[in-house]
Amino acid sequence: MSFLPYAHALVSRQDLPIPAWLFAWGASIVLIVSFFALSVAWREPRFERQRWRPLQPWLSRLALGLPTQVVCGAIGVFLLGVAVYAGLRGTEAPDRNFALTFVFVTVWLGLPLFSILLGDVFRPFNPWRAVGRAVGGMFTALAGQRPVHLAYPEALGRWPAVIGLLGFVWLEVVYGASSGVAVGLSPHTTAIAALIYTVYTLAMMAVFGVEEWCDRGETFSVYFGMFGRLGAFGSEEGRLGVRRPLSAATGWATVPGSAAVVIASIGTTTFDGAQEGAFQGGIEQVWEWLLDIGFGNVAAQRISGTIFMLLCVAGIGLVYLIGVRGMASVTGAPSLEKLRWGFAHTLIPIAFAYLAAHYFSLFVFQEQAQFTYLLSDPLGTGTTDLFGTASGGIDYRVLSANAIWYVQVGVLVVGHVTGLTLAHDRATAYWGDYRQAARSQYWMLAVMVAFTCFGLYLLSVANA
Amino acid sequence: MRIRPICALAATAATAVALAACGGDDDTSNGDTTAAQETAPSSRTEQESGKTTPAGPKPKTIVVRGGEPVGDPPELEYDVGNLVYLSVHSDVADEVHVHGYDLSREVPAGGSVSLSFTADIEGIFEIELERRGVEIGELRVNP
Repeated sequence: MSFLPYAHALVSRQDLPIPAWLFAWGASIVLIVSFFALSVAWREPRFERQRWRPLQPWLSRLALGLPTQVVCGAIGVFLLGVAVYAGLRGTEAPDRNFALTFVFVTVWLGLPLFSILLGDVFRPFNPWRAVGRAVGGMFTALAGQRPVHLAYPEALGRWPAVIGLLGFVWLEVVYGASSGVAVGLSPHTTAIAALIYTVYTLAMMAVFGVEEWCDRGETFSVYFGMFGRLGAFGSEEGRLGVRRPLSAATGWATVPGSAAVVIASIGTTTFDGAQEGAFQGGIEQVWEWLLDIGFGNVAAQRISGTIFMLLCVAGIGLVYLIGVRGMASVTGAPSLEKLRWGFAHTLIPIAFAYLAAHYFSLFVFQEQAQFTYLLSDPLGTGTTDLFGTASGGIDYRVLSANAIWYVQVGVLVVGHVTGLTLAHDRATAYWGDYRQAARSQYWMLAVMVAFTCFGLYLLSVANA
Repeated sequence: MRIRPICALAATAATAVALAACGGDDDTSNGDTTAAQETAPSSRTEQESGKTTPAGPKPKTIVVRGGEPVGDPPELEYDVGNLVYLSVHSDVADEVHVHGYDLSREVPAGGSVSLSFTADIEGIFEIELERRGVEIGELRVNP
């Protein structure tokens, strides 16, 4: 049987690869902008302090007050419930079931977008946090004292979230790969996974405490919170305020495992893009070798996919570590560990750029579905029309191929510039002498140019 | 603002790369030599018409044997706005579905079915046997 290319079961359409001339233009702009940025480099750090200013008290009360928290938490729990119910009881056709699009497109791709602009918007809607806090509140009311938790082991850090992130993408992209043999990730499997994750998360919250687990171990809180650090709004001591954009990211990576979170994000997006083009040959070869050994077709696909996904993550990590090692060689450098932690946040804009470049068109098209037939007919029965929008559908003509290409290249360039900005700023903070700081940044420049141009390259050979 | 010499050099080099790449952009699309380009009709053609076969151009055919495409699923490449004229021969009965365009046509066992439509959505679309879930071809519409 011929090896058919992977396709997401949700996806009816895939992007054309960006043409060679646009790839060259994009790469050139990246290089020009990078060297220009070096030459106008500022000498004092500008993003190390958040300059947080509180907003009007009524606005703060409205956004953070208990009624709002209860409503947002209830919305989160309700939507999770709808997704699980639709997964268990709805149609098995992935594109007609509310659960798949909601989880893997609306939430997974939409929340990073809102987070980088506005801050940590997931936190009030986090269903597990809402349930955990409610249970904790009831316990306190009944027992007369707050629940006692185990101290969270410092060295564990955000590593549980790294595992969760890898597991989530593995489920979507490797386990759920549509190959002409399997249909793709089924809504039923998604619902079961959500239930398992719910039990696990609530248990961890009971052991370590709700806020502690959300800050370090809960996959979605950590992942969306990472992007939220770039956003303009943040809360301090129960009050909502506005801060300098990007500035809250500088203090993000102080928890062990943080660099791994952002590297896993870039690595998994890289894998999803590369399996459609750049690494397709390699994956095929491993798959055939596994078949020869005696594995079944589906098992061989999953194993080869898993191997390459982990290789992608490791590769991205390796490039970052080379950059860190290079910076360490410049006079006046702090310790290797401090550098490794201190520059992890500079990759957050690149992680978002990768997400946006690979999934922008999918997001636009699937959100049309989300608010038309998926909203009114979440179970995919064909006869329900809750909000009157069930007859609508996806209009693929809203985005031309050129528009998609320009967005893909544009977002990679903007992500690159933002990453460079953060890296340069951190360097001025770590190195006393601005000339040494600038010299150290040739390394991070090389790392980011590599990531950005690799991102462009992946797009130019995807589905080629 | 001082421009360091290395920056000027790098900027020049990068601009040179861009200009060179720009000069060689005549091979953006139509790299697939097996794609026969159909000329766009002057008037807007009918949408799906299994009955009216346009005179002149032959349909591109996909052969399905035992529910699987013969060989690798073919890549059928068109420019946007052109007419797509496909024919699927199958020895098993199934439903031929073009994703994205969302066109479906039943193909009888041992028979063939043809689809004719304007390629007005750019992108890459799977053509599959819907009930078996098998990809039998790939439609590529370039801008």
